[in-house]
Formats: sequence, C-alpha cells, structure tokens
Amino acid sequence: MAPDDPDDWIDLCRKLDWEFSYVSERDVFPEVQSGHPWLPASDWADWDEPFRTTYGRYVAQQQEKEASVRAVREAVGGLDDYRQLPAGWLNGLKLHAATLPLAEFAAVIGNLRAARFGRDGAWRGAALFAALDEMRHTQIPLLLMHELVRWDPQFDWTHKFFHTDNWVAIAARHLCDELLLASDAIEFAIATNFVFETGFTNLQFVGLSSLAHGVGDRMFDKMVNSIQTDETRHSQMGAPVLAKIVERDRPYAQYLLDKWFWRSWLLFAVVTGFSMDYLTPLPNRTSSFKEFMQEWVIEQFLQTLGRFGLERPWYWDTFLQGLDHYHHMVYASAYSYRSSVWFNPVLPGPDERAWLRAKYPDSWGDFDPIWERIAARWRESDPGNEFAVHGTAIVSFCDLCQMVLSNGTPRENTASVLDHEGRRYVFCSRPCRWIFEREPERYAGHKDVVKRVLAGEAPGNLLALVRESFGLRHETWGKDAFGGVYPWLQRDRA
Amino acid sequence: MIPVYGFLEGDTIGLLILADEQELLAVTAAKVQVAARLRAALDGPLALFINGRAVEPETTVQQAGLKALDRLDVRRGGAR
Repeated sequence: MAPDDPDDWIDLCRKLDWEFSYVSERDVFPEVQSGHPWLPASDWADWDEPFRTTYGRYVAQQQEKEASVRAVREAVGGLDDYRQLPAGWLNGLKLHAATLPLAEFAAVIGNLRAARFGRDGAWRGAALFAALDEMRHTQIPLLLMHELVRWDPQFDWTHKFFHTDNWVAIAARHLCDELLLASDAIEFAIATNFVFETGFTNLQFVGLSSLAHGVGDRMFDKMVNSIQTDETRHSQMGAPVLAKIVERDRPYAQYLLDKWFWRSWLLFAVVTGFSMDYLTPLPNRTSSFKEFMQEWVIEQFLQTLGRFGLERPWYWDTFLQGLDHYHHMVYASAYSYRSSVWFNPVLPGPDERAWLRAKYPDSWGDFDPIWERIAARWRESDPGNEFAVHGTAIVSFCDLCQMVLSNGTPRENTASVLDHEGRRYVFCSRPCRWIFEREPERYAGHKDVVKRVLAGEAPGNLLALVRESFGLRHETWGKDAFGGVYPWLQRDRA
Repeated sequence: MIPVYGFLEGDTIGLLILADEQELLAVTAAKVQVAARLRAALDGPLALFINGRAVEPETTVQQAGLKALDRLDVRRGGAR
C-alpha cells in the first residue's frame, strides 16, 4: 500500500463502518435523525458517490479556489468596480446576496446532521466536506458585499435579511428551516442534495454566472462559479440516497420529490426569475427565465425521474403554467409594494415589455395592462414620489410557502381557504395546500404576516409594518430603481 | 370589522380587506377595487363570489355569510 497514492487506501477510510456491540444500531442511528425508512447498515453498504475525496485533496482544491476568488476580488471586486454596474443588476445582486449566505449557513447544520446520522461512512464523510463547503458559501458573499455597505446600506441585508421578520425573510426561513435545519438525513439528502442542488442551483449558478459575465460583473461570475464547483460535488450525495429509498419505499420517495420540487420552485422563481426577466438590463439578457428553466431544470429533472422510475409530480401541468405566470405575478406585486423589500425594482418599459411579450406569448397579454396602469400612475406623479405609485392595503400570504397570494394567473388566482382544527388557513396553490394537508402538524402552528397582524403581534398599518416588522427604514426600503424617471416615460405636465 | 381576502380579476395578488357586517357586498367589492387600483380595474357590472359561491352585491356581508378570512372574488359580470 502506497500512502502517497490515495486511490490505494481511500475506500478503507471512507467506508469506515463497524458492528456495534454495546448499543443497538437503532440507538446509534435513530429514525428521527437518520430518516425513513430505517434500514440496517448492511442495506446501505453499497452506497457510493463518484468524487471519493480525501481530506488532503479537499483542502488543496479549496485553497486553490479561495486564492482564485481573492485574486479576482483584488482585481475587480472594489467599490469602484461595483459602481459601474447597471442599477437593475445591482439590485438583483442585493436580492441574491440577502438570500444566499445565511441559508448556506443553515445548510452547514443539515450537512453536519448527515455527517453524523447518514447511514454509510462514505455518505458521512462526503457530508462533512459539504458542511465545510457551506461555511465558505456563507463567508464569501458576506465578505464581498461587506465592502459595499458603506456605499449602499441596502447591501447590509446580505447579513441582516434572515434576522428580520420581513415577509420575504419569513418565507425564506420557513423553507430553509425545514429544508436545512429540521430535515432528517434521508430527507435532507433527497430534498437538498438532490432536488435543490442538483435541480435548481444549476439554474441559479450556471444561468446567473452567464448573465453576470455579460453584464461585466466578474466578481459575481467568479463567486457563483466557485460555489457551484462545490455544489456539484456534494449534490452527488442525493442520487444514491434517492435510489435506495425508491427501492424500499417508492411512494415516500415520490412524495419527497414532489414536495421539495414545488417548494424549491417557488423560491427560485422569485429570486432568479426577477433577476433574469426584470433586473438584468435588456441588452444583456440571453434567455428568459422560462427558457433557462426549460434548459437547465426541466429537461434534466425529467431525465432523472425516468432514471429512477419515478412519476412526474401530480401538479406538473400547474407547474408548467406557473413558468408563464408565477414570477410575473409576484414581481408586479412586489413592485407595487416595493417599500416592503430591501432592493429597488425596475419598471419595465416598452422595449422590456416587447421582449417579455415575445418570450411569454401565452401570458404576457394579461400582464401588460398592469404595467401600463403603473406607468400611467408615474406619469401623473412627481419623480421620486414613491408612495403615489404604491399599494396601501395589507397584502396576504400563503400559510405554507409564506409567499404572497400570487399564484395562478391574473384571470384566476389559485388561492384557497381551508379550515383545520378550528383555525383558518389560506394557500396560494393546490400543491402548497397538499403539502400542508400531508403533514399539518408540521406547519399548522406557524403564523403568516396577516395572522401576526390579526393577533396584534405586528402593526396593521403598512408603513408601521414595514418599519417595525420588516426591519426597513427610509434609507433601506425599496424604491423604483430610477425614481420613476425613465427616458420613455413622458410626464403629462411640466 | 371582518378581515377577508379580496381578489380582483386582472390583479396579481390577494389583499386583506376589512368588511363591516352591515355593509352591502357591493361596498366591500368597492374596497377591493380601491385596494387593487394601482394594478387593475374592472368596468361595468361585477360578479361576486365567496369561496367560489356566487353572491348578490346588494346583500349585506352578514346576509351573504361572509366570514373572517373568507375569499371574496370580484370579477367582471354580465356578458363576457
């Protein structure tokens, strides 16, 4: 055996498992932590993933990546470099920057649970490396964006976001707490490693990296590329776990896939859909969000389902309809309640709307009149008079995903009300309601923003809600990215 | 006052609306329209629905059985 050639000894180390004599295997790997179905170690003995990394190799590779990120930061990651980027792109950056680092930090916890309760030594080792990955995914955006806080306080939300009761933060925490903090090792592997990372971060990282390159944001391009190379490795833990669960409890595997594909889709539609279809300047757009979804998510996801002998989620038609509608529904809503978010959205002008009509011929006809009305309101208002072009009523939220009730289409919103054990719940969509009804004990106690207002735990006045619950003040709450001043928007009066 | 989820046809979001038990549903529907007017508006006769059940605009909230956190839809009425 040659100690300097890891291929000679790696499997002896990474498949390090043994039989217990003083405690039972069920006590060492309780189902509540290791996951369902509980299988004896012998059933997991063939678990494997392709990277087969040693700690030495891991450290060497990561050191190279860190040096590369640092070099790009020193070259093009300064304040002056960011100042030159388009306003819309910078606001997409604020949106991503806020949702990324602390979610990644929560993923450290999920991976560490798998590093302890995963059922095979190789799985546990790979999860440990993944936990270390997630630490750097937390630290890199915090480091890069910190430089920008003194220039623009909205970048402070890179760290602050998850610590507020902002409605987007509530939705993000509701997802991440369940996905990353509360899932047992099996659900974590299928939900996070397989669905979320294999399915969706491909879209976010590959697609956005390409856009960043086009816009000239080399720092963001480098950051997401650096993170994606880690994701590619630890996403490989998901497939062997899914394969085992399909073999032993196919309905449960199908349920986890259906549930987490839907939950992941809603988050990505908002974060990535906004950036691709609204915040990236028109000359830099290469494809629509829908086209990216079709190329990077759907094709791969369907191939994977076929490989594992699983069915398409029962809501597949609803999902496909959502590709044409959901992020447009939420963006128009968020724009008209922009003081409730920490970034500045862009009003799509005639050229952008023509592009959107070409990319979304089946749905844009329902959205164009909405933007025409909003633009007309700006024409009647003074530049910068944000609240003249702003919603005033309290908006409502889904009791499962915690996002605004903006699913379906402008013609037919799909929200529905459910009475459960003396309480009333509302859901934005049939899949959200279905997820709730499968495990009501998991979700029933959570209060959305409206329930908090009605319980007297949050202000009912919109401005007070924005300040006191959403954690925003005038300097940081969202405004139109151009103050309502656009070359194409001629005001009716001098 | 009863909080209800108001949806205006053509709009992108559900809104929290406060309804008085004694007011006509037409009044509540007008509140939905005002709350959504930045994004959408309906002209002409309206059709109202509580959790999918058609109701008359000239009945009161109480008579129509509109309860807290019900869904109230305000849609285009008459010939479509």
